[in-house]
Amino acid sequence: MATSSRQLILDSIRAATHNDSSIYADLPRNYIHRGALDKASRLQLMTERLREYGAEVAESSLADLATTIARQLQSSGRHIFVAPPSLPAEWLASNFVWKVDHALSHDEIEQCDGVVTAAFAGIADSGTIVLHHSPTEGRRVLTLLPDFHLCILRASQIVETLPEYFDRCPQPPRLATYISGPSATADIEMTRIKGVHGPRFLSLILVRDDI
Amino acid sequence: MSAPVHPTATVPSPVMDPRLAPPFPTAALPILQNTQLRKNVAHATDVIQAKRNNLVAEKKDWRELRNSAAAIRAHVLANLGSYLEEFETNCTAAGGTVHWARDAEEARAIILRILREENATEVIKIKTMTSAEIQLNPALEAAGIKAIETDLAELILQLGDDEPSHIVVPALHVNRRQVREIFAQKMGLPELSDDPEALTAAARTYLRKKFLSVPTAISGANFLIAETGSVVIVESEGNGRMCLTLPRALITLAGIEKVLPRFADLEVLLQVLARSATGERMNPYTSLWSGVTAGDGPERFHVVLLDNGRSEILRRKVERQTLQCIRCGACMNTCPVYRQTGGHAYGSPYAGPIGAILTPQLEHMQHAQSLPYASSLCAACYEVCPVKINIPEVLIELRAQVVNQERSQPARWFDPMYLGMKAANFAFASATRFRLAQRLGRVGLRLFTGKNGWIRRLPSLGARWTMSRDLRALPEETFRDWWATRDAKPGKESR
Repeated sequence: MATSSRQLILDSIRAATHNDSSIYADLPRNYIHRGALDKASRLQLMTERLREYGAEVAESSLADLATTIARQLQSSGRHIFVAPPSLPAEWLASNFVWKVDHALSHDEIEQCDGVVTAAFAGIADSGTIVLHHSPTEGRRVLTLLPDFHLCILRASQIVETLPEYFDRCPQPPRLATYISGPSATADIEMTRIKGVHGPRFLSLILVRDDI
Repeated sequence: MSAPVHPTATVPSPVMDPRLAPPFPTAALPILQNTQLRKNVAHATDVIQAKRNNLVAEKKDWRELRNSAAAIRAHVLANLGSYLEEFETNCTAAGGTVHWARDAEEARAIILRILREENATEVIKIKTMTSAEIQLNPALEAAGIKAIETDLAELILQLGDDEPSHIVVPALHVNRRQVREIFAQKMGLPELSDDPEALTAAARTYLRKKFLSVPTAISGANFLIAETGSVVIVESEGNGRMCLTLPRALITLAGIEKVLPRFADLEVLLQVLARSATGERMNPYTSLWSGVTAGDGPERFHVVLLDNGRSEILRRKVERQTLQCIRCGACMNTCPVYRQTGGHAYGSPYAGPIGAILTPQLEHMQHAQSLPYASSLCAACYEVCPVKINIPEVLIELRAQVVNQERSQPARWFDPMYLGMKAANFAFASATRFRLAQRLGRVGLRLFTGKNGWIRRLPSLGARWTMSRDLRALPEETFRDWWATRDAKPGKESR
């Protein structure tokens, strides 16, 4: 049997690198790992970054969360929402139509006005929302097709730096999406336009579970 | 085929296949006369560069991040074989299928075979440089499969029968009026305005139907994670997420150098990539997935690992660093040559300084030999490179290889440049001959020297120099003559 391309490529690589020795543990890591901000400044930075991106940010206490969700949905002017299967029942505000995702079709999701999800983490330095797509965060397509995404993020989930997020992942996720502001493009004359294909409207509720 | 709506109609259509493209100086000449294109390129590169510089300046640990990024990439290359095997094992365990392609032809054949198994007649694509490298779209077309580019810039270029000119903002040479013309004609929207918001909305509507109906997608990869077998894609628009999650089958084409050891190495690479590429703290969307996940995303997932000359580059000490590249495009935005010509003059999907070193190497130094000369060696590219590729060093090494090639060709005896260099070599090798040459030169050049002591025009090869600048006449006395007789001329040396 002829030698496989796999073998030929690996042989060629090994011939090129057989004299090299480079140890992973020896790699320099002198960049900033821990942030320097206190809790209040960290949350403030997260809020500022999100607003720079054009996202809407509201704060809520844990006790008022359901009310805050209802208020934000109301002010969005939208009516039909899709929810991940394990989203807490008290988050599904009445007066709205809810489609809970038990294997909804793409078309059914596409026809919803918005989506409400939880998140895995927030990174203040870049205003990034991290989804690991657990049953409260939803399948990837859920936060993609509807035009409006309301994301519930707890203050205790917010870290300052990107390396701090990686410290919070003992196991690498199988799926992850990092969202830093709504979908955008600058392809035409470098003019930033919000909303090409993903949700054009991103709204956040910052839950003060820390006080 | 319908008539092309070429936005740069005064310029011949760019040839982006390095095997067919004219040499850089020939390709650059008509572009330099196109003021609209140059204005568009200057504007775009200015904007990205200013944003990039601001965000790099605010990052207190930029130098440390850059050092780590460079070290991680160099470490990967030194251990590439083991990391690729680790990636293969973990990707396969997660439900993906890994294919290996030695060259462009094999990669195209693998992709076509998968598409036939999928009975695909259409395929949606995320912007991938690697697919342009292997000339995938023409191969798909020949096989009767319609490729639909979904990145806004790529869509503009595809509908306008144009070619990309930048790896991050491929349509930066096209302005809003030109985009309007293309969309109005190709989408059948005569009333469309040239407001970028309206143009973007038109693309959204046009592509949404495709996303929801086309069951097969092709992507590139920003990173492959050995530890988990995951693939990472960095984007802005969400077209990537659409292609990665909606279709039933997904094919990812990735160069073998794209692998990273661990998931956590992203904490370095993601921080330097977005800042360098688009001048953002983080790009709007980054996706990571591992093989196949039941109920979420494609049911069948293939990775095609492409060598296409890379393992050969790996073998060379100076050139190996070329493979550290993470395709941010910062070197283009800062390059004084690229900023004048844009990407088309490079005759390759990879333009700018990184293209000038990568393209000829991917072509085994058999094509694109003019590209290592498309540089002033000012090293601005090295300065901004987030993974510290010493591009000028590689350029000089490649120039030496090009000269060595030329030196072994029989045609060299008819090349005035070669003969001139040979003569110079002969003259410079001996002090006597050098002195004689200086004298002959002084006498010879007198013929062309004006009364004011300047040479305005030289004949034959020398005309290339005087085409754009004047030359001073050779002085009556050489330095060596002056030095030898300086004691005999008191007072002169004290000046």
